[in-house]
Amino acid sequence: MTSITLPILLLLGGFVLQLLLARLLTPVGKGVLATAAVFASFLATLPLVPAAMAGIAMEAPLLPVWDGPFSLGLRIDGLSVLFMLMGTGIGAAILLFSVRYMEHEEQGTTRFYAIMLVFIAGLLLLASAADMLGAYMAWEVIGLCSYSLVGFWYRQRAATDGARKVLVITHLAGYGFLIGLVLVYSRAGTLVWTDPAVGSAFTSGVAALFIVAAMAKSVMFPLHTWIPEAMNAPTPVSALLHSACYVKAGVYLIARMYVIGDGQWQVALEVPLLAVGCVTILVGVIFAMAQTDLKRLLAFHTVSQLGYIVVGLALGTDLGLAAGLFYCLSHALFKGTLFMCAGAIQHATGTRDLRDLGGIATAMPGTAKVWIVAAASIAGVPLTNGFVAKWLLFGAALDKGLLIVVLVGWIGSILTAFSFLKATVNAFYGVPSKAMLGRPVHEASPSMLAGMGSMAGLCLLFGLAPQLLMVPVVAPAVRSLGFDWAVQMSWLGILTDRGSIAMTVGGVVVLASAMLGLLVYRLAQAPAPGLVSVYSGGEPLPAGDRPGAVDFAEMAEHAFHPVYSLDPDPGYLRIWRGLTSVAGAAQTAARMVFEDRPLLAIGLAAVAALAGVWLV
Amino acid sequence: MDMVLIPLFLAIALGVGLYARVIPQGNGGWWRFAAATVALAVAARLAGHGWAAVLLASAAEFLAVAMVWSGGTAEARAAARKYLTAVALATLCGWTALALIQLGAVRPAAPWDRLAVALLLVSVALKLGLVPVYFWLPAVARASSAMTTALIVAVVDVGAFCELLALRDIAPWLFTDFAPLWIGLAVLSLLGAALLALAQRELKPMLAFSSIDDMGYLLLGLVAGGTDGMAGAWFGILGHAMGKIVLFGAVGAAEWHLGRALTLDDRGLSTPLPVASAAFMLGALGFIGIPPTLGFVGHWRLYLAGAELGGPLLLAVLYASSAMALLCYVRAIHRVWLGPVEAPVVGRSLPRAAALVLLAFAIAPVLFGLAPNGLRPASEPHPHVAALPTESAGGVK
Repeated sequence: MTSITLPILLLLGGFVLQLLLARLLTPVGKGVLATAAVFASFLATLPLVPAAMAGIAMEAPLLPVWDGPFSLGLRIDGLSVLFMLMGTGIGAAILLFSVRYMEHEEQGTTRFYAIMLVFIAGLLLLASAADMLGAYMAWEVIGLCSYSLVGFWYRQRAATDGARKVLVITHLAGYGFLIGLVLVYSRAGTLVWTDPAVGSAFTSGVAALFIVAAMAKSVMFPLHTWIPEAMNAPTPVSALLHSACYVKAGVYLIARMYVIGDGQWQVALEVPLLAVGCVTILVGVIFAMAQTDLKRLLAFHTVSQLGYIVVGLALGTDLGLAAGLFYCLSHALFKGTLFMCAGAIQHATGTRDLRDLGGIATAMPGTAKVWIVAAASIAGVPLTNGFVAKWLLFGAALDKGLLIVVLVGWIGSILTAFSFLKATVNAFYGVPSKAMLGRPVHEASPSMLAGMGSMAGLCLLFGLAPQLLMVPVVAPAVRSLGFDWAVQMSWLGILTDRGSIAMTVGGVVVLASAMLGLLVYRLAQAPAPGLVSVYSGGEPLPAGDRPGAVDFAEMAEHAFHPVYSLDPDPGYLRIWRGLTSVAGAAQTAARMVFEDRPLLAIGLAAVAALAGVWLV
Repeated sequence: MDMVLIPLFLAIALGVGLYARVIPQGNGGWWRFAAATVALAVAARLAGHGWAAVLLASAAEFLAVAMVWSGGTAEARAAARKYLTAVALATLCGWTALALIQLGAVRPAAPWDRLAVALLLVSVALKLGLVPVYFWLPAVARASSAMTTALIVAVVDVGAFCELLALRDIAPWLFTDFAPLWIGLAVLSLLGAALLALAQRELKPMLAFSSIDDMGYLLLGLVAGGTDGMAGAWFGILGHAMGKIVLFGAVGAAEWHLGRALTLDDRGLSTPLPVASAAFMLGALGFIGIPPTLGFVGHWRLYLAGAELGGPLLLAVLYASSAMALLCYVRAIHRVWLGPVEAPVVGRSLPRAAALVLLAFAIAPVLFGLAPNGLRPASEPHPHVAALPTESAGGVK
């Protein structure tokens, strides 16, 4: 029991210590304490892996006596372990990054680290809750943490506006989860995920309610619009919540639904879910291309990437689920890294606006390298985990004959590559912008580099040897959802019964070739790098000139103009204005009839009551 | 003896007393009327279910009217007159209904049973300020100090609702046989008050309408009955009491700071009043029913009761009301408390005692939300209920 609850208890212990030692510790000390708590939780999660690989679901009570007949219990299976490892592993790296990133904050660091710890504990509870009620409570707890962290700088209008949007959209849609579980309980009398009675009560209508809740958390179109506004949070928040964990809560919920009634709901909802995923892929990346703010750009790419993940889960096959879950982990790694790089850039230069950046690779070589690895991964460049994820996803879609899904994914990948080319060139290369001239730029601190570098390293490692992730983590998760997965994995890479990806062998060959090329390049004493003319698709630009972030954004806006009208925010605004207008009209009428003439109100009520009792 | 409500009322009295010592809520008369109101409400709980309890509870309501009157302003007296009208008529209707049914011990022959239910409906609606006879509550909220309204909502109204809970146990036919009427009253309050709360610019009337909205929720649980409905109503009313002390207390602190009524045009009060701001946010989240607060423990049970009572349609009504409540509170939080200070005011800071009271009542619902069993009523069922066949005490299906 202790070993199962230990990861959560360690995080809660860290939370309590943060509060108790708030006056004694410096911001750096608080960061170290939080990092140690999350890392200890990660270490405590590792022993759960062998049981998950053996297909054993471990159970333990968390709050044995809660509310009458309801208790809060844990049931940890392969899927739980996957999300627990993701939350604690990536959480530890991001908190390590935070130590130096947050050291200059004058106030609020206790609040920051305490809420981060509760957030990770909430994610672990969500992933390991034995029933829907526990999962819903964890769902809302992480929602509250997200709200508090996005609004961390609560005296800034932009931060609080972002926080409000997060709360309103995710909580209103989250009622779908609550109403769904209430309907299940009223029909089945239980909320345990694996109870057969729940399976028969889990209609496609209930599943649709769950999916609406998941769509808002996992930024699916049209409920995605909160994420760009949430970028006014401190960067570690964006990295942990808006890449690795919070946005994956919806992914978890969709995956977890497969244990209910053998996933029968998927038959009715496959097509709508695939459609939502595909639209999200395209809308996300097209909006990303028009951004000049680095974090907003990454936020829209999160939207797009979550579309890929949901498509994988929606396929409802073993390979589709494996692709979705592998993608989920991969995205956490590369997007977390990219957010941390963006934070390091902002920390060093004071801006994250691509129009004001340029040429910082000279001053920040380590950050540039880390960024390039992660950018390559999100674009799906071979030898990175992003490539493996896409390969698996396309394979799963082809298995089902869904060429349109592959086509959408392919277009999305190309646009992603363009978008990151823009971001990389504009931020790191070329000549510094006028805004940067004379401004001292420094490399990220060693601990920041360690945090993001470790994750970028894993992007390469799992790209070269994906079986390291597939065998102990992804495959048990797929099997825990009731799929008898026929995939085989070896040190050659992933071998499926539909074909093989000899990733390790291929990777070694390509790496060897690259090293050989580099050696030849060095030995040949190649000329020093300099500015050259850029071919921009038309007339050659003068030497040193290049298409800038604004040019690229304008080009995207021109090319994809109709897509930008798909922004759902104006629609939400109209609903809000309509509601307040109705409320105003109701207030005027109520004041005239009920408030200013109380006896009339009483008389009407009395007549209605008397008439009612004789009619009933 | 009621081992939950009596300690809660006493804690509220202590908290309000400490708060009012540092942030004045009224003159000497206010103190006397406030103390007497709480004392009578506690005495009514001690008296159990009977005419003595009814008399004591009614006396507490009339003293609450006097507490409003003691505000001294013309607006306060006007509000007190409205409140007095409501209390007097509610008492008249309520006593007549209780006399007809002999405090729930008998069901009189037709048509007297129907008359009793009609009178009880009117009485409950007037006492709790339900739509459409809510006229006194926003008026009282506008004209009185924050803790005056908080005491009325958190003690007087809660006492009245708990009396109704007892009646639900003793004479379930009052509710089960006339369920559509009670559901109609609850739905009208749920939707009407949530909508009217959205239309308010001042925070105190907004909180008053939010109370009415919440009472609609609780009434649904009471009508549904059964384990879920009654537990939902019970936990809901406890969360309601604690939440309203925090919310009105925080608004009172802001008014103390500004020296005038708090409206949606005020900005950035979290900077000068961080504790009041945090307390308001916690209180609001509890009121909306977000886990792990006590509000959630009540709300999710009430959703269950709603599903049993009216299926998906009633769930949709509950959703609409919850959504409007969320939008209302989030707007208040983000317009009034969070964000930059646009027009700095050199106001009074929050006294330490008031801050402690706000924090205690803000944190308690979170702790009780994690361990709600500590708040379950320990009392034995009423002897009359024990004699009833099991199914007649159950819920409406």
